[in-house]
Amino acid sequence: MASALKTYGTLIGFVLVVVFFWIEIPDTFMTAKNWLNISQQVSMLAVVAFTMTIVMVMGDFDLSVGSMASLAGIVAALAFHDGYGVGAGVALALVIGLAGGLLNGLLVAYVGILPFVATLGTLTVYSGLAFLVSGGKTIFGRDIPVAFSGFARSGIPFSDTVSVPSLTIVAALVLLVVWFVLEQTTFGRRLYAIGGNKEAARLAGIRVRRLRFLAFGLSGLGAAAAGLMYASRVASANPTQGSGLMLDAIAAVFLGMTMSEEGEPHVLATLIGVLILGVLGNGLTQMSIDSYVREVLIGSIIVLAVATSSIGKARG
Amino acid sequence: MTATLRKRLPAAALFLSAVFAAGTAAAAGKIAVITPYLAQPGTQFYVEAFQAAAKDKAWDVNVIDTKGDVAAVISRLEDAATQKVDAVVINVDPAQVEAGLAAVKDAGIPVVGMDAGASPYLVTNVTSNGYAMAADTAAYVANRIGGKGNVVMFVFDAFPPVQVRGVIANAVFGNNPDIKVLDRVTPDVSDGGIADSRAKMEAILAAHPDKGSISAVWAAWDQPALGALQAIEAAGRQNEGIVITGIDANPQAREAIAAGGNFEASMAQDFHGIGKAAAEAVAQTLAGKPPKSSVIYVPTKLITADNVKD
Repeated sequence: MASALKTYGTLIGFVLVVVFFWIEIPDTFMTAKNWLNISQQVSMLAVVAFTMTIVMVMGDFDLSVGSMASLAGIVAALAFHDGYGVGAGVALALVIGLAGGLLNGLLVAYVGILPFVATLGTLTVYSGLAFLVSGGKTIFGRDIPVAFSGFARSGIPFSDTVSVPSLTIVAALVLLVVWFVLEQTTFGRRLYAIGGNKEAARLAGIRVRRLRFLAFGLSGLGAAAAGLMYASRVASANPTQGSGLMLDAIAAVFLGMTMSEEGEPHVLATLIGVLILGVLGNGLTQMSIDSYVREVLIGSIIVLAVATSSIGKARG
Repeated sequence: MTATLRKRLPAAALFLSAVFAAGTAAAAGKIAVITPYLAQPGTQFYVEAFQAAAKDKAWDVNVIDTKGDVAAVISRLEDAATQKVDAVVINVDPAQVEAGLAAVKDAGIPVVGMDAGASPYLVTNVTSNGYAMAADTAAYVANRIGGKGNVVMFVFDAFPPVQVRGVIANAVFGNNPDIKVLDRVTPDVSDGGIADSRAKMEAILAAHPDKGSISAVWAAWDQPALGALQAIEAAGRQNEGIVITGIDANPQAREAIAAGGNFEASMAQDFHGIGKAAAEAVAQTLAGKPPKSSVIYVPTKLITADNVKD
């Protein structure tokens, strides 16, 4: 019972937050439209957090995701500017994301640099590249095709008044893929084995280096996808616009990790972490609570959730 | 189990106290002010002025700062639409948040821009006249150097509000046949703009070593003007009569102007006036008589050593 509460404490906290908002904002919070809004608002963070979960399963980090998201948006926008179609621009940005991620993987797995240091380095490199290729400016207006910016505003009609936003659908698809890869394939199980004990995994015949290399590639790919979603949503690309995603994504994975008995990241738990951040943003805005109070609350909740779970584990 | 509950209690208490604090305002109108730029001094000034005006009108104002995150502005606009506020005030490029503005429009909520940029989604945009500010400082430079000499320009064409300033200054200098624009420099602004402008100016000074070879520096905003001032002083050329002007009249620029050195003039935007006028535009809109013009200009003022202390 106690251990169940330890494990589900974050989930219970999430439910309490939702119930709280439901009571406080009875008319508009618990509506399909608002939840679809929330799902769209968190979709970019969700994609980064889901793919960040893949590297965090191995006990690694990817600090470069925010600047990769910015770089991907800039690359796509510049491609559009140069007359490439939406498909080509998006594909190019995703390739850059994958390549940047694999470079992280190369540095971590084969060169042997600590992920924190390696991705801190590439964070700076990708951010610098985004500034370099864009000349530091925001690309917007006619340079962004309507077909690209329209995507973030489109959706599949759900009823007369509400529709499921395209960005939500993308995030859901990424969730499905990451869940499948991590929970249903040998690849995923091996990543968890690496996270458990790298040396043991290696001795058991797992090709640790190759798997870490590939996992970082997926994280870069996810970051690029999120950057494209962001650029579509704001109909523009700016060399710094993705930078806020990294810390929130790591926070979401940490919140999710508190829900696991072993402290392992699982992508469905990451989803709860993402939703906690998103629901707080949405609900507190609707309650007209000062945005700085919101920051303090979100930070406190992260620390409390992680503290609760780690204190519980230390005692157990 | 009790340990878990005990750990959660402070969070709940913090939560509730925040909620009660927010719930006390009596509302004659619920206004959401949304900006990613609250950390910038100008934005702070007009948000404060807006809040002061709103207090007189007994509005319930919620200021939302997304800390540089433009996509979050869209999210908060959607939330404001869900919340059914009476009006929204934004301080961000409307073109970048159209998805959110559309949601607010669908909810029938008016949006007023506070130094935001023109957009069909806005009832009106309250701002300073960038054309006029550039004309004032460029004309000041042209007059001070007697319509003759070499001028260095610091511009930033990537940012539309600053780009218009450069266009106007070009026109003023171009209209003086004896004024030659020596260089049109775009500084790297990622470090705030002063340091790189100084480096660029040092290079230009080195390339033009003779006294009188540079008559003036016209900068489209204050940071490059301050950088140029530092370069001129470091090169020991502060007594050559090089005239420097900026725009924005930020505190550092005012200090330099008051010191009576080469930095002679800048333009003060009336941030307070912008906030007040934005509140007025909201009041008119709520009363069913929205302002007719899609842009409302709040007058700006040339700041020189004569009036910098006012």
